[in-house]
Amino acid sequence: MAKIGLIFNGVWSHYAVATAPKYRDLYELLYVHDLTAEAVADLEALAIPFQSNQQVLTEKKAIIYDFLAAGKKVFLEGDSSTAWLDAQWEDRPVNNYWWVDDPTNPPVSETNYDHPVYQGLTPRQACWHTHGVYTRVPESAEILQTNAAGDIITWQTHAYGGTLLATTLDPLVEHGVQQITHLDNYVDRLTYWLSDQQPSPDRMTIDAAAYGEGAVV
Amino acid sequence: MLQALLISNGLQGLDSYYVSSELVQYTTCLITKDFNPDLLPYDLLVVPNGSDHVAMLRIKDKVAAFLAAGKALICCDGFFTAWVPGNQWLMDNSRRTLDVRYVAGTDSYGLLANVNLDELNFSHGMSGWWACGYIRAAAGADVLLADTWQRPIVVLDEVSTPGRMLLTASGPLADVTYAGKSESAMVTLYRNFLHLISTETVSAHG
Repeated sequence: MAKIGLIFNGVWSHYAVATAPKYRDLYELLYVHDLTAEAVADLEALAIPFQSNQQVLTEKKAIIYDFLAAGKKVFLEGDSSTAWLDAQWEDRPVNNYWWVDDPTNPPVSETNYDHPVYQGLTPRQACWHTHGVYTRVPESAEILQTNAAGDIITWQTHAYGGTLLATTLDPLVEHGVQQITHLDNYVDRLTYWLSDQQPSPDRMTIDAAAYGEGAVV
Repeated sequence: MLQALLISNGLQGLDSYYVSSELVQYTTCLITKDFNPDLLPYDLLVVPNGSDHVAMLRIKDKVAAFLAAGKALICCDGFFTAWVPGNQWLMDNSRRTLDVRYVAGTDSYGLLANVNLDELNFSHGMSGWWACGYIRAAAGADVLLADTWQRPIVVLDEVSTPGRMLLTASGPLADVTYAGKSESAMVTLYRNFLHLISTETVSAHG
């Protein structure tokens, strides 16, 4: 039974990762326009991927904060809006070729590898590229990753009851895209942290039957 | 001037890729819970990269009627639901991105004119960055670009409906690049299609 609700904006990369045989028993797609408190009641965690609909998340933010108030976990990746999150995200040019041009200067320079999601990851597995930075986070936040300029990439807070982990990395979207081949490492750590269940150690595969007429929507 | 309806699911920055010009006027349609746009006033439906294919499936019949009226569709995204007549995108990760190269196929209208395939093949020396998966194309549709394994990546379909469809296997296309440049392969291919439909379509707005 799925334990993680993936708030779903109808985007294919969200769909690809949540329907992959490796993850489909752990993640449940929750179409954002149909999101209700009842739909998340039995879940242990929510994942809000990059390329989400910030306006609808704002309209439904009570569902997210009530979920946190119940002591549960929420993972947020990519951009966000101050309309529903007490933090300031700012856009920056995406550098996804740093490892070709200047491998000694990755977009993340400091990582707290004591955090359960990051334990055992190599620096390369802990950062591929970033989508912007946080220039303000809640006072209670613990900073987990920063870039060379000191901008915040990843942070978490327990201020709302459960744990909110936010990052400008985009592990779920990029793992769905499958153009970066090492993301099983990050996503498997994340999935275990969110659900207490370990995905199979095999590389993510695609089930073609889930596409087209067989789409699970 | 073409009248285009740009479907948006609220992604940050989308409007900067599609800017109205002397050739095309964009109207943005933001997807809501009650998404049910009137398509027929428009000449072109643009479903950009990162779109909501649950919402598009819900208006599948409207899209079919739009194309039946001879209108045009650009979908440059992974259409994982079955809303595009005659064609289906499939995700696939069984091939190495390192090996991906695009090869030109049938191009009856010169849509690949001035499109530098090296830009789609390589970004900063990396291959496999542009499209994902492949299209199960309608029989008789033109495969403009195929990949290393002869799988359709860009398709022009004039056979499934009375309208025209330009489809990519999730390879982004845009009217303006993020940096504001207009010379990129993604923009050139997109604009070549706009020119094709603007010269051969009677605009709904005269």
